[in-house]
Amino acid sequence: MSSLEAIVRELRKAARRALGARYAAHALVGAVAWVAAVMILVRLVPFERRAELAVLGIPVALAIAAAAWLIRRPSAALLMAMADIRLGLKERLSTAWERRAESGPLDDAQRHDAVQHAARASLPAAFPVRVNRGEATLVAILAIFALALALLPNPMDQVLAQRQADRVSQARAAKAVADAKKKIADSGKPSPKDAQIQKILQDAQAKIHEADSPRKALESITPAEQQLQKLADPGTPALQSSAQNLANALSGTAAGRSAAQAISTNPAKGAQSVRDLASQLHSLSPKDREELAKALAKASQQAQNSQMRDSLSKASSSLQSGDAASAAQALNDVASQLDSLQEQENTDQAVAAAINGLEAARQGLAAQADRDANGQGGQANAGASPSAGASGNGNGNGTGTGTGTGNGNGSGTGNGTGTGGTGGTGGTGGTGSNGSGTGSGSGAASTERIYVPGQPVPGQSENDPTPLGPGQDVPLSPYTQVIEAYQQAALDATDQSLIPGSERDLVREYFSQLGEPRAAK
Amino acid sequence: MIAEEPRVDATRVTELAQSLETELARLIVGQKALLRDTVIALTAGGHVLLEGVPGLGKTVLVRSLGQTLSMSFSRIQFTPDLMPADIVGTNIIGDTDGRREFHYQAGPIFANLVLADEINRATPKTQSALLEAMQERTVTVGTQTRPLPSPFFVLATQNPIELEGTYPLPEAQLDRFFFKILVPFPSEGDLLEIARRTTGDSTPQLKSVADAGAILTAQRTAREVPIAEHVLRYAARLVSATHPDRSELDSVRRYVRWGASPRGLQTLVLAGKVRALLEGRYNVAFEDLNSVAQPALRHRIFLQFEAEADGITADRIISEILEHTAKEPASK
Repeated sequence: MSSLEAIVRELRKAARRALGARYAAHALVGAVAWVAAVMILVRLVPFERRAELAVLGIPVALAIAAAAWLIRRPSAALLMAMADIRLGLKERLSTAWERRAESGPLDDAQRHDAVQHAARASLPAAFPVRVNRGEATLVAILAIFALALALLPNPMDQVLAQRQADRVSQARAAKAVADAKKKIADSGKPSPKDAQIQKILQDAQAKIHEADSPRKALESITPAEQQLQKLADPGTPALQSSAQNLANALSGTAAGRSAAQAISTNPAKGAQSVRDLASQLHSLSPKDREELAKALAKASQQAQNSQMRDSLSKASSSLQSGDAASAAQALNDVASQLDSLQEQENTDQAVAAAINGLEAARQGLAAQADRDANGQGGQANAGASPSAGASGNGNGNGTGTGTGTGNGNGSGTGNGTGTGGTGGTGGTGGTGSNGSGTGSGSGAASTERIYVPGQPVPGQSENDPTPLGPGQDVPLSPYTQVIEAYQQAALDATDQSLIPGSERDLVREYFSQLGEPRAAK
Repeated sequence: MIAEEPRVDATRVTELAQSLETELARLIVGQKALLRDTVIALTAGGHVLLEGVPGLGKTVLVRSLGQTLSMSFSRIQFTPDLMPADIVGTNIIGDTDGRREFHYQAGPIFANLVLADEINRATPKTQSALLEAMQERTVTVGTQTRPLPSPFFVLATQNPIELEGTYPLPEAQLDRFFFKILVPFPSEGDLLEIARRTTGDSTPQLKSVADAGAILTAQRTAREVPIAEHVLRYAARLVSATHPDRSELDSVRRYVRWGASPRGLQTLVLAGKVRALLEGRYNVAFEDLNSVAQPALRHRIFLQFEAEADGITADRIISEILEHTAKEPASK
């Protein structure tokens, strides 16, 4: 190996070191500049993973610098020329390297001269490892700038907090829907429309989860509720009323007392008991038969369901005529209608539970949408934070379903209480909707009348607009009945179009305030 | 092992130049740059145009150079009535063995060292008589061309003042000169030394330190000095930069009418090679080119009238070019 090649090798080593330091400085400048740029960017655009993004630039800058360092290999001629200039060798090395294969009269002397001068010089000094003052200053300035940006309040923080709160709100709403699904599945009262209900809830849950904002999520709730309402059978109250009237009528007979109790307990048991009664008709005494025939006739007269009315009438007339077989057949028909009632009730309960879940979801989403509109999106998040929960003041959005049962009033939902998240106080329970029930007024406990759209108020006929005569008082309607009828009508009206959930909640809030004095009483 | 004895002993050139400079310095006080440039031009085989006000020692320098070199020396005092034949010689009728016939009477141009004193006082016709001699190193009289002695070295002087009745050298004539050297006024210390040396009872007697053979050998050796490609490109860039249509310098585009010819590049490189040898180096460096750029290019750059009005000189233009031309390292 010639001396010139040894010189090149030494220069190359020194150049690699110097270049490495230079590229490291470049990488540092790039990384700090990246961080500063990210700090500026996150002040203009809400970006959640700002730390990750800022840190990402450091390895990228280092990798680019390392790749550039590896790729860039200065030629030997360039190294020699630069060493000439930097070491003051007056182009000796570059000339010698360029003419290393020449054999002119002075070439050997020139190469010898070059090697001698190179030996006296410190070759690594041609490529010193030093920090560029300009770059160091730039790094310092950028670092201070980035630090200041990181420490100063960022206006985008509020936007991010709002987004976080939105996500939490949507997650809670989705969970409320999921809880409703689970509750329906675990209810132990299967209905033929369970699959459809589950499907509707599943779709609503997915839409809530995927919605861009709580407001968008709210838009998916109303259609789901409308779909659920379509699943409810409007004839159920009439059938329930008929069954209850039957129970009331049978309770006064010796043969039908047990059947009456069974019907009051639930329609399925009632159906079985009626079948038992049908099978025992031939063994009844004439007095019992007559008594039973009268009770059936009375129930037939009060029945609002035509099939039930026909069956009861047929059973009554068959008994009175002594045709026990026909009467038994008619009672079996009644039993079948009670079975059907049981299925309808199960469906209605499932629909009610599903709507309760959706309403619970709506409340949370509407509240968050209102906060978003008022620019207070971060508050819900704060309330949901573990620290807030630990203090016992968290705003939990619990859902619950209170089921009131009463004699002759069917079942209703609403005003239940539930527990919120850990550490939070129990939230407001889901409001009952579609709670329905009709009563004859002979119930023992809860007899509150609830307005059901499309259904006549118990004790009144929808087709009874009797004109008032002279001196007659205007018939009075119960306050709660009117308020709830108005509330339902208003809510139904808001359901007809894409009215924001917050506005819909205003309507709901208005009516709930109107209802407060009543509750106080 | 790289170290080998060079086939050409370049150190002799260095020694020759040093001895020439030393000997001339005995009589010429100061003026080191003038002596160095003159020796460079002599070693490169080029002609020199010395420009300076009267009394600065131009003629003394040339005469002293003639004394230090064992070569023929002649002096031609250029005047307006000087004819070409007075320089190159003429055919005259003579008596040879009783027969009268024309024979050639050589002029003073037939010498190794020719001093063309106050060359700008001769008419252009007479100045042109030097063209062939300086470039071709031959003289044609009648139909016969005769070679001049080798080495052939013309040192012309001209006075930048007293321009009345003078004939500025045409561009073609100027381009024949290897260097145009400006003779500066001596410093105060040098003036004192001049006074001491020349007003005493004796003046230094110069001795001969080289002959024609040594000069020719030095000229051949100088041409063998290697120059790296990127240094050569730098020289080319310098010359290109003197042209207003190629230069990026505003001053060049504004003030220069015509830039240096390719002969300027040849001069630059050759002078750089000689200077490298005189500096004890065997290769041309950027600083060699920079050092010789002024004398090599100043008479090859022709300025606009605007430059004269603004007091811009060719030297200033060259300084700017040197300052702004990049010394790019080799790229491969």
